[in-house]
Amino acid sequence: MSGLTLATISHAFAGRRVLDTVSLVIRPGELVALVGPSGSGKSTLAAIAGGILKPDRGRIMRRYARHGMVFQQSRLMPWVDARDNIAFPLRLAGMSADRIAARVQAAAEAVALRRDDLSKRPDALSGGMRARVAIARALAVEPDFLIFDEPFAALDPALRRRMQDLVLSLSGARGFGGLFITHDLSEAARLAHRIAVLDRQGKGITGSLAPPGQPGTRSESAVFDFVETARAEPLLHDLVNVDERALPLESTCDMSGFRRCC
Amino acid sequence: MPSDRGLIRARHWLRLSEWADMLPVLAGRAAWRLGPPLVGIALFLALWQVAHWHYGAFILPSPWQTAAATLTALSGLAGWAALGATLARVLVALGLSAVIGGGIGLLAGYVTLIRATLAPVATILLGMPATAWVILTMIWFGPSHGAILFTIAIVTGPILYIGTVDAVRSRDRHLEDMAASFGATALARFHRVALRQILAALGPVIGIALALGFKVAIMAELVTNVAGLGAEMARARAQMDIDMALANVALAVTGLLLIEHLLIRPLQTRTGHWQGPDA
Ligand SMILES: Nc1ncnc2c1ncn2[C@@H]1O[C@H](COP(=O)(O)OP(=O)(O)O)[C@@H](O)[C@H]1O
Ligand SMILES: [Mg+2]
Repeated sequence: MSGLTLATISHAFAGRRVLDTVSLVIRPGELVALVGPSGSGKSTLAAIAGGILKPDRGRIMRRYARHGMVFQQSRLMPWVDARDNIAFPLRLAGMSADRIAARVQAAAEAVALRRDDLSKRPDALSGGMRARVAIARALAVEPDFLIFDEPFAALDPALRRRMQDLVLSLSGARGFGGLFITHDLSEAARLAHRIAVLDRQGKGITGSLAPPGQPGTRSESAVFDFVETARAEPLLHDLVNVDERALPLESTCDMSGFRRCC
Repeated sequence: MPSDRGLIRARHWLRLSEWADMLPVLAGRAAWRLGPPLVGIALFLALWQVAHWHYGAFILPSPWQTAAATLTALSGLAGWAALGATLARVLVALGLSAVIGGGIGLLAGYVTLIRATLAPVATILLGMPATAWVILTMIWFGPSHGAILFTIAIVTGPILYIGTVDAVRSRDRHLEDMAASFGATALARFHRVALRQILAALGPVIGIALALGFKVAIMAELVTNVAGLGAEMARARAQMDIDMALANVALAVTGLLLIEHLLIRPLQTRTGHWQGPDA
């Protein structure tokens, strides 16, 4: 079973504190949703958890073999087709061509990608298909822990629900734990065992909420009711009443690179 | 069975008739694509012809005369040798400036300190007119093969430098973060993710450098009188042979077109394909 502990993580960009002594424990097999307003440092925490960024201070304890990561905007390489995008982490690991082909095949099946989709480049795929490819890429390494950073934020609501169902069925079938970052409260309530709330300015986890029952077994109305009552919680005040004036200029979106979203 | 065969035949016929319907559409599209450029070329040739009538063959030979002179130049070994000498020189010099300019550009793209230090130098070198270099290298090296190579390299080097710096800076770093999340080392991130983007962004810059290098080569050859298209032009000028001069101009234009279509276009479609045909 897999788990992750982030202990007293602090990080600053160019002298500006983004995360300040944030601690979060994810128990083995647990899928924790992390919510917080834009600019609160969620992506930074995800990058630290995923080993992309070394925090200025704090400790990371990983009790899993491998993680897979799914990003905001999918982050597919535009110059190769879906198949090679999914194969990318396996090639990095120096796996043999036969094993790569088998793994890619299995991952593509898990997310219901068809053979002809696999030979398309990302710009020939819709947003939903790109999200599927990104999930398949994360699954290809056979992870026992998954990190999602707002993977479906750019999708329309119907599509987003389908992708959530996909995550639910995958986590049900494979039993992985993970960190699911989102600023959509109902997404968090559908997918997670527990919802952790990040302080508006990254000053720690201010608390957590547990929706009733287990993810995947919650009825629509249960999720709806939970979200309606939770919105009144003082804990979620900053998330619900977003003050756009208090936000940094470049929030929510990936601002660098040629695929900017806003 | 007969009815089946009839059906197949009917379907076949239907497909043929569809084709027949499509034909005018396809032809129309082709006309739209090829028509305007053809009209443009015809217009250019017509203007040329009119100017020829007006000024006479001594000042401006007709397009036909020029074509004939070009063919004459290309029918002998000398014409090909001149074109080949110029092209070879451009390629060697460009290779040199790609290694030096591109190499330093790569470093500067990643290291802010180097970039900041070199910025004024690059600005000065970019601002230097190509003719100034031709004169300077003539004085420094005399009329030699090396002088021309140096001139081409020093003119195109800063362009490749700036282009490489830009390419490094404008790459999508999120992709490298993605690779890092799957455990890629810094080296793997560079050669599997960054380099590919940098080369794609460099495609158009290399095209510009090639075209410029070719023009500079001709100019330098003209001044130094070292074998090549430029030297042939110098000879034509000395002999006041307008046919030969224009034939060499035509050869130079042909050379540029060859470079564009044999070297630059394939390079760009191979590395920059995903950015779409308009990028
Ligand atoms: N690479 C970076 N360089 C400088 N500042 C950054 C960088 N990444 C994020 N930030 C800043 O850190 C803050 C938190 O960003 P982020 O973690 O992306 O928040 P969230 O994902 O919650 O919207 C923002 O103010 C953002 O501007
Ligand atoms: Mg974010």
